Amino acid sequence: MRSLTLHLKILITVLVLLGASVTAYQIFVLGIPVTEDATDDLWNIDAKVEFVASTKEPVKIQMFVPPLSRDYVSLNESFISNNYGVSVNRADGNRKVTWSARKVSGKQTLYYRLVLTKRYTGEKPKVKGQTFRDSMAIEGPEKIAADALLAPIRQHSADVETFIGETIKRVNNLGDDNVKLLLAGDPSTPHKAQIIELLLSIAHVPMERAHTLRLVADQPQTPELWLRSFNGNDWLYFNPDTGEQGLPSDRLLWWTGADNLISVEGGKKAGVTFSLNNSEMNAIRLAKLTDENSDANFLEYSLYGLPLQTQQTFMIMVMIPIGVLVILILRNLIGLQTLGTFTPVLIALAFRETQLGFGIVLFTIITALGLSLRSYLEHLKLQMLPRLSVVLTFVVVLIAAISLFSHKLGLERGLSVALFPMVILTMTIERLSITWEERGANHALKVAIGTLFAASLAHLIMTVPELIYFVFTFPAILLILVGFMLAMGRYRGYRLTELVRFKAFLKENA
Amino acid sequence: MFGLWKTWKALEARGIMGINRRNADYVLKYNKRSLYPIVDDKIITKERAIAAGIHVPEMYGVISTEKEIDRLEAIIDGRRDFVIKPAQGAGGDGILVIADRFEGHYRSISGRLVSHGEIEHQISSILTGLYSLGGHRDRALIEYRVTPDPIFKSISYEGVPDIRVIVLMGYPVMAMLRLPTRQSHGKANLHQGAIGVGVDLATGITLRGTWLNNIIRKHPDTTHPVDGVQLPNWDAFMQLAAGCHELCGLGYIGVDMVLDQDKGPLILELNARPGLNIQIANDCGLTHRTHAVEAHLAELAAAGITETPQARVRFVQELFGHVPALND
Repeated sequence: MRSLTLHLKILITVLVLLGASVTAYQIFVLGIPVTEDATDDLWNIDAKVEFVASTKEPVKIQMFVPPLSRDYVSLNESFISNNYGVSVNRADGNRKVTWSARKVSGKQTLYYRLVLTKRYTGEKPKVKGQTFRDSMAIEGPEKIAADALLAPIRQHSADVETFIGETIKRVNNLGDDNVKLLLAGDPSTPHKAQIIELLLSIAHVPMERAHTLRLVADQPQTPELWLRSFNGNDWLYFNPDTGEQGLPSDRLLWWTGADNLISVEGGKKAGVTFSLNNSEMNAIRLAKLTDENSDANFLEYSLYGLPLQTQQTFMIMVMIPIGVLVILILRNLIGLQTLGTFTPVLIALAFRETQLGFGIVLFTIITALGLSLRSYLEHLKLQMLPRLSVVLTFVVVLIAAISLFSHKLGLERGLSVALFPMVILTMTIERLSITWEERGANHALKVAIGTLFAASLAHLIMTVPELIYFVFTFPAILLILVGFMLAMGRYRGYRLTELVRFKAFLKENA
Repeated sequence: MFGLWKTWKALEARGIMGINRRNADYVLKYNKRSLYPIVDDKIITKERAIAAGIHVPEMYGVISTEKEIDRLEAIIDGRRDFVIKPAQGAGGDGILVIADRFEGHYRSISGRLVSHGEIEHQISSILTGLYSLGGHRDRALIEYRVTPDPIFKSISYEGVPDIRVIVLMGYPVMAMLRLPTRQSHGKANLHQGAIGVGVDLATGITLRGTWLNNIIRKHPDTTHPVDGVQLPNWDAFMQLAAGCHELCGLGYIGVDMVLDQDKGPLILELNARPGLNIQIANDCGLTHRTHAVEAHLAELAAAGITETPQARVRFVQELFGHVPALND
């Protein structure tokens, strides 16, 4: 006996340690979030390319697509185009997609779809850039105007950063004569950017144009021009209209340089429209999606590796041990009397279909009616199998009637009862009526209420979303559960209700 | 919470056994699952008992198929009274007690007239498993009807009072007399409302009673005191109970016995999961007694001795008997 106890203790220790360490490994080493609400924003960007193809020549369309090097992770990228060859290539830190076709005609529509999310990793790859450039050659009045502008800028700035900011501010001061001369009557943002680049090049400060897209849902977007300069460590971004420094976090870098977003050969009237929307996603799913595009494969052997449909089934299944645990505690520690051991868990599962309140009402009505039928059948002295069949059929008819009735009343909830496991109900009725006969109405009522209570509690606990997520994500928890159940298997203490039952002993002594 | 803890400690100090302890330390430890059929099936119990020379109510016959129901007449063989039982029934269900015959009909114990056809239907129901645990097919047992000794007339209502003894490895540890009441419909099961009355193991004199978890001293229907009654033939009961361990091989059982006015103590059935209310009836916890028996067994095992049923009865009577009479 003692060796058995030791054996059990070792087994429990091993199981609990194993469960705890696997879970700890998942949480602390793999960094899987403990709660589900760590959801991430997911952006869905559609770029719609439209143009009219000329019938004679082959068509070649080139469009920049985001390089996605630093702040964002691409989850899925697709090029939707019929009859076009697609190729993607990188050049100067940009990515470009090339669609080509030999013979097309009429209005053409191509799609580029990108699903992405922010990257949250701490360390970012190093970036490289130029810190010096040659001056652009200018002459005549432009040179004088430029020099006149640069003199106060030099005075008002301390370093490259303030120098660029000052330059942009000066160029945006449209009242200034020198600026007027340089802009030559074209105060558009691209032209301003060109002037800014010119001024900066005279001071040997490199400057690059960055085209960004603002991540805002359900508003048509056009690429927004920003200027950027490399300070030796990082890129500094400037708004060409205000001189404001720093790129807002909702901007996605699409491409850099002076080129247009799209270039078309063999077509005309090319245009790109962007549409964006966002959705939220469970961080784990996201990690799983990201996996396909990266090499971190830690979720490969978790339940998240299953197809979605199977996952949903397993989400219910992993909760069954929790429900059983609830029943175990209620029966062996508290001493609640229930109908059989697992009937309450089955009823709790049935409550999933009907919702709790409605389920309890239904359970009560059907069981009460079934019991009265069963007691009537008792008079007929039927054999067991035919009697059970009659009760089952009655339950089906009853469920159908309730469904029809509630449908006529406009209660959609009534229809869900069709899925209420009727075999569970039939067995409940049968066992309850046996209990009724053997141990009386009082006991049967007590057992029925106990069963309903246990089922409701199990249902409530089995449907806590945080718990479902936790058990599903860290199934090793079940090992700890088994350890607890094993320990319960040799629990010898009193049940809570026994303290009341044996009260007679204490009264006598008091 | 603190009150509960105090109750817990008090119960533990008195050695009151809870269901969890009974299951873990006794039922699971001493009762091998494979031996359960011996006690679950009354026919097997009876055959074993007869083979071991232990007194049981005489078995008239067994009906195990529908076809054999035709043999009912031959089995009864003109007897005026008999009992029909499901072999694996639980809680006294499905038992038909025929006390007499009346003009081609039978008369049940409560005086109701029963036709031969009704008896055949009853047997058929038993065979289909109407009364068996889990609804398995069952057998019907036709046996001698026990007539309770007149001593119980004043303290029982209808039915047959029986004596339940808890036996651990052949050592009777506690005994109780179970008296049917109006509420229990003549059945001797405590949870159906029968009274349990503790019995002194050494003398066979009744102590006080328990009724639905409360302590009582008088029978609610006859208002006669239930304590202080000397059970006749007490040592025979103890010997019977002690011998049941060899009969079934189970280490922790409840032995149910009756006192027939003609045949004396008889074994009715054995129970592999005896209830715990016997503790209330005896105003004594089981745990201290079972521990004492276990310690004694360990000593014997160390010395390499096995005791005879007589020696075992003597041991427990000395140790647990002669409970001081209640005087209040």
